[in-house]
Amino acid sequence: MSGLALYNAWFSYGDQVVLRGATLNLKQGESVVVAGANASGKSTLLHLCAGLLPIKKGSLRLGGSVADGLHPGELFRRGVRCGVVFQEGGLLSNMNALANVALALNYHSDTLGLSQSDVEERARLALIRVRIPEAQFYTLPAHLSFGVRKRLAFARAIAIEPNFFFFDDPDVGLDPATAALVHEILCQYRDDPKVTMVVGTNRDLLIERLGVRGMYLRNGELHEQTEGAHSIR
Amino acid sequence: MQPRFTLFPQRPISERPSWVTRIGAETVSNWWFFKRLFATLARAAAAGFEPGASAAAVSRRVTVRQIFFTGFEALPLVSVMALLVGATIIIQAQLVSPLPGEVLGKVLVAVVLREVAPLTTALVVAGRSGTAMATELGNMKVNDEVLALVSLGINPYRFIVLPRLIGTVVSVLVLTVYFGALAIIGGYLANALIGGPSFPAMRAGFTEALVPLDLPLFVLKGTGLGVIVGWLCCHFGLEVGASPTEVPQRASQAVVFGMLACVVLNTAVTLAFYWIAGPPIH
Repeated sequence: MSGLALYNAWFSYGDQVVLRGATLNLKQGESVVVAGANASGKSTLLHLCAGLLPIKKGSLRLGGSVADGLHPGELFRRGVRCGVVFQEGGLLSNMNALANVALALNYHSDTLGLSQSDVEERARLALIRVRIPEAQFYTLPAHLSFGVRKRLAFARAIAIEPNFFFFDDPDVGLDPATAALVHEILCQYRDDPKVTMVVGTNRDLLIERLGVRGMYLRNGELHEQTEGAHSIR
Repeated sequence: MQPRFTLFPQRPISERPSWVTRIGAETVSNWWFFKRLFATLARAAAAGFEPGASAAAVSRRVTVRQIFFTGFEALPLVSVMALLVGATIIIQAQLVSPLPGEVLGKVLVAVVLREVAPLTTALVVAGRSGTAMATELGNMKVNDEVLALVSLGINPYRFIVLPRLIGTVVSVLVLTVYFGALAIIGGYLANALIGGPSFPAMRAGFTEALVPLDLPLFVLKGTGLGVIVGWLCCHFGLEVGASPTEVPQRASQAVVFGMLACVVLNTAVTLAFYWIAGPPIH
């Protein structure tokens, strides 16, 4: 499977242009960190790369398939699995932790070839991997702490065994132990040759720990980071 | 002179667009509104034909839950309303002038079954479940839940909109039949209470007034009103942008537009029925 190819992408919210001709090419298994000041468009770029937003001008290909955000199921059936960890989690508020993780597995169980027991087992394993205690499996996201919600969002993304991973400020607001766990997971995916990863962050510790190709956003333009990781902002 | 600073400061007049620009912008905005409105319905309909057996099974389960919330849980409210509305109509008809039983039976068919039952049911569903749907979907938009679904390869039109649309249509149809039946019982009871004409006379008028065209009229009204409530409430919910303050605004718009559209559709179908079937209808 080929990687991510974003070409000359323009995006705006009304009159406010957020991205101006952003181009990003990643081979399968390659990772990149995107930095930039607040409101520079990091989240928008990540959503665009994941095919969640319609590009006003330009194109996006994930694993060789055109991604326009209009036919998400079709992309999944072609083998493009996007794991997106949103800044605020994006968890379904009317579903408990286990149901949140199992939803996509249930929805795509025929494509993934999973039985009901497989779905449950995989969802439980994903929750255990991010160290969510079993007592909280049946709790609604609103009753979970911020750190647990963030880990739950990780578990949901991990469960579908993605080949594209997008992280939006993955360790913001987490205590050192949870942040270390998140860094560990990110490093595992960085080293996975099947996973293409884009991380949006300004955290020096994470940037240094990942030690991958760096890019930064300024005035809606995406630039290659050529100096040290610290000069990107 | 420096403009006075107020609690809600606005852009200086010199920077505001002219009225010509504003009219133009409003026209374009309305065009886009209707385009998006119909796109929501088209996407929900298309989502029903997407492949994926497990996705269809998940969607069916959500639909059943929706029917439970919209239809089953509304039964107590609809029961009370139907009994009282049926009774009120018969009491009012008798107040105008004492009518023979046959006429009262016909009034029950013409007023209660053909008009009040479908319209009131749709308004109850719009007010009770429509607000909840629009608010729920609006909050889902604000909290990135809809984007999260797309990221997981889940079509929100198949997982969110279509089940709510089908759930609303089924609920409105079934509740309309239920409302009609209870309103007639309410009418008969009120008639007995005020010492009106005999029950067999009313039943004779009732059976005489019913025509074969009533069945398609009933189904058309129930289905059409259900589609309108489900469609508009889902659409306005999904129209919410990033701000939580938009949620109550959109929910209110959904219900207001939904109720207005229901009244318009009900009148249009009644007019069509008038032209096709009568008068007099038998």
